[in-house]
Amino acid sequence: MRFLAKRLAGLIVVLLVASFLVYGLLYLVPGGPMAFLLGNRSGTPEQVAAIRAQYHLDDPFLLRYAAWLRDAVTGDFGTSLVYRQDVSALMASRATTTAFLVVYATLLIVAGGVAMGLLAGLRGGKADGAVSLISSVFLATPPFVIGVILVIVFALGLGWFPVFGPGNGFGDRIHHLTLPAITLSLASAAFLARITRASVSEELGREHVETARSRGLAEGHIVRRHVLRNAAIPVVTVVGLNVAGLIAGSVVVESIFALDGLGSLFVRAILQRDFAIVQAVVLVLVTAFVLINLVVDLCYSALDPRLSRQ
Amino acid sequence: MIRRAIPVATALALALTACGQQAASPQQQQQQGAGGAPKLELRTVTAPATGELDKVTWNLPYEPQTVDPIRSFNYAENTVLANMCESLLRLTPEFGIEPGLAEKADNPSPTTWVYTIRDGVKFWDGTPLTAEDVAASLNRHLDPALGTWWGDYFHTVESIKATGPMQVTVTLKQPDVLFNQAMASAAGAIVSAEYAKKKDLGSPTGGVMCTGPYKYESWKSGDSLTIKRNDAYWDTALRPKTKELVFRFIADETTAVNALRSGEVDGQYFYLPPAGLGQLQQSTTGSVTLGKSLTFWTLLGAAKTGPYADPKVRQALSLALDRAAISKVVFQGTAVPQRTLAGAEYWGYQRDAFQKAYDALPPETPDLAKAKQLLTEAGSPTQTITIGIQGSSAVHEQTANLIKATGEALGLKIEIKVIPVEQYGNLYSDPKAREGIDAFFSTWYGNVPDPLDIYTVFLAGSRTNFNDYAAVDADIKKARAAYDETERAALVTTIQQKVTADVPWMPLNNLPVILYMNKRVTGAVASFPYLYYPWAAGLGAA
Repeated sequence: MRFLAKRLAGLIVVLLVASFLVYGLLYLVPGGPMAFLLGNRSGTPEQVAAIRAQYHLDDPFLLRYAAWLRDAVTGDFGTSLVYRQDVSALMASRATTTAFLVVYATLLIVAGGVAMGLLAGLRGGKADGAVSLISSVFLATPPFVIGVILVIVFALGLGWFPVFGPGNGFGDRIHHLTLPAITLSLASAAFLARITRASVSEELGREHVETARSRGLAEGHIVRRHVLRNAAIPVVTVVGLNVAGLIAGSVVVESIFALDGLGSLFVRAILQRDFAIVQAVVLVLVTAFVLINLVVDLCYSALDPRLSRQ
Repeated sequence: MIRRAIPVATALALALTACGQQAASPQQQQQQGAGGAPKLELRTVTAPATGELDKVTWNLPYEPQTVDPIRSFNYAENTVLANMCESLLRLTPEFGIEPGLAEKADNPSPTTWVYTIRDGVKFWDGTPLTAEDVAASLNRHLDPALGTWWGDYFHTVESIKATGPMQVTVTLKQPDVLFNQAMASAAGAIVSAEYAKKKDLGSPTGGVMCTGPYKYESWKSGDSLTIKRNDAYWDTALRPKTKELVFRFIADETTAVNALRSGEVDGQYFYLPPAGLGQLQQSTTGSVTLGKSLTFWTLLGAAKTGPYADPKVRQALSLALDRAAISKVVFQGTAVPQRTLAGAEYWGYQRDAFQKAYDALPPETPDLAKAKQLLTEAGSPTQTITIGIQGSSAVHEQTANLIKATGEALGLKIEIKVIPVEQYGNLYSDPKAREGIDAFFSTWYGNVPDPLDIYTVFLAGSRTNFNDYAAVDADIKKARAAYDETERAALVTTIQQKVTADVPWMPLNNLPVILYMNKRVTGAVASFPYLYYPWAAGLGAA
């Protein structure tokens, strides 16, 4: 309990600092939201003044930040300057798409990466060589290239998957998000495969495994109880770090597959100086990062109780 | 009711030529005009639909910010809105202006416009359209807090009042012919007065309430916007052939082209040729139509000091420029070189006078010798000219490189400054953003078939008169008050001559509408009025 309370307090501090930094940095960058509020071609001085007053654009930075913070505490993230719509409404559907994509990609990374790593680590020889080659290729190819190739082959060529969009309903979503999730996961899966392979080989050569072998225990038992369990700690760490990275990496994938995700909303909002959206997305992303770290820590204690006793 | 129906024979001929065009390669579509520039077959309509469809999916170049007419002044917004919200007057696909929600527009004195509202028109919710709705909609442009994007057309308005149950009177501070013409664009779009009180009007949650052939159905932010056929639409000639129209917002060009080729999306209007235009032209699942347009590609002058503030320097650069090369290299052969800002589609009256004036202007072919002479007269300036271009736009970058090379051949130093796409709009509205920028590119368009609509940007003190060009201010004021078309044409051609000679904005190419439609569908309007005319009403099965 104390562990959780400490983590939550930490989360709030991190959120505050992050939101303040982002709010402040947006202020320092030249250009304002007026172009998006008034269009390109018109706007009398009276109009500009009226709009600035309406959106409190002339209030000092700290005053605006404080007003935002007050509303945010009550769950009101304000109105988007550009879209004149509640930020929470703008984010709701997009958060679903991004979450679906990230979870899907995580499953692919874990399943694919661990399977390939185990194959290479336990079998060795030709399998090891093949996995090492494949993972090198995946690691070296940027996601946008992978995305384009997948679209050309599996969407336009074979017609198995749709070219764009997030889909509706569970089955349709899976169908629509398969190519994006693969695009997003290949590099991480390759990385995870290498980590898994390395830690499995290391564990295989450790003393307690040798001892178990000399005692004549079944090989399957040794792998499950002595190798995998110990090899899992670095694997969980890498998965945690990668999932956090996926949220940022999804921006590219969202643009290739025209997905209405948080990433694309975030980038556009930054460039349009749409403060309210930027703030809210930052809060969501930072929360996600901290929560993922928390889950990783909990996994550590489950895998090796000694780690949480320090 | 004045309606210019397309005779069956013409429509058939269009259909036949459209079919022939599909087989031809892009190169064969263009006949070589003067100076190696392409001469394009530009259309206003596509082959008529033969049957009804339940659903058509259409792509927009980006997600609209709103469907509130007073803030709809851009491609995606107006493409959607044109099918939902009708204006007092109607801009036809042939660039004519005919009655819309107003049966007639009277002009009893130069400063008064009286609109008689059409009887029997109903909003989608069944309430009848009245003069109160019209007055309320137009008055929204006068409230500074609402932030209209159409302010340029309302600067001369004194008051707008309902003067009868079906009559609205607009009083102007000074005579203004453009005000009435603007009533054929989204500036004259009518929203239910009761509905317009909603705070979230035009947003995905608020929607809109109008009288058009399609009604607002739903808008899933970030994903799609759906409109449905209005079965009670008053103008039976424009009853939609497609029940439901779903708009997607694929901004990434490659993805959009892929979605069109795969048939997941049925059609799209492009305002600049996408990098994958060749793939679309060769597509076996659909075809490209080029449409007549009011859009043009231009270099907006913003320099108040330095070499580019000197008309002679601008003239020299303009004279040396190979516009046919820009057309071929940058626009993949889809744009026509222009010698004036406002092209032939703007000539909504006195066509002969405008044609004669156009022919008298120096041709758009380069004249290096004269350009060099002009530069010498200007004192051979050595300072650098900075051109602002929009980041991640091939069209901007390639044109800038061509202009830079032209400048170098003349001995002018030109520098290119890249500005991120989302900040590029600041150049238009914020003088601070223009600091250090001598000129920047724009796909500018006027809204009504009158060249005066374009040249009026050079009014003294106008927010878009970026380099304070002052030579035509008095003439523009006179022309805006000239209700007589002969008189106006004479004034406008004089303005055009001065503007063309002084090059405050440099005309480059006329940009056609680039319409792609899947083979499954046809009947969409191919010309620029798709931004204001219910272009999808004719869209149906091929």
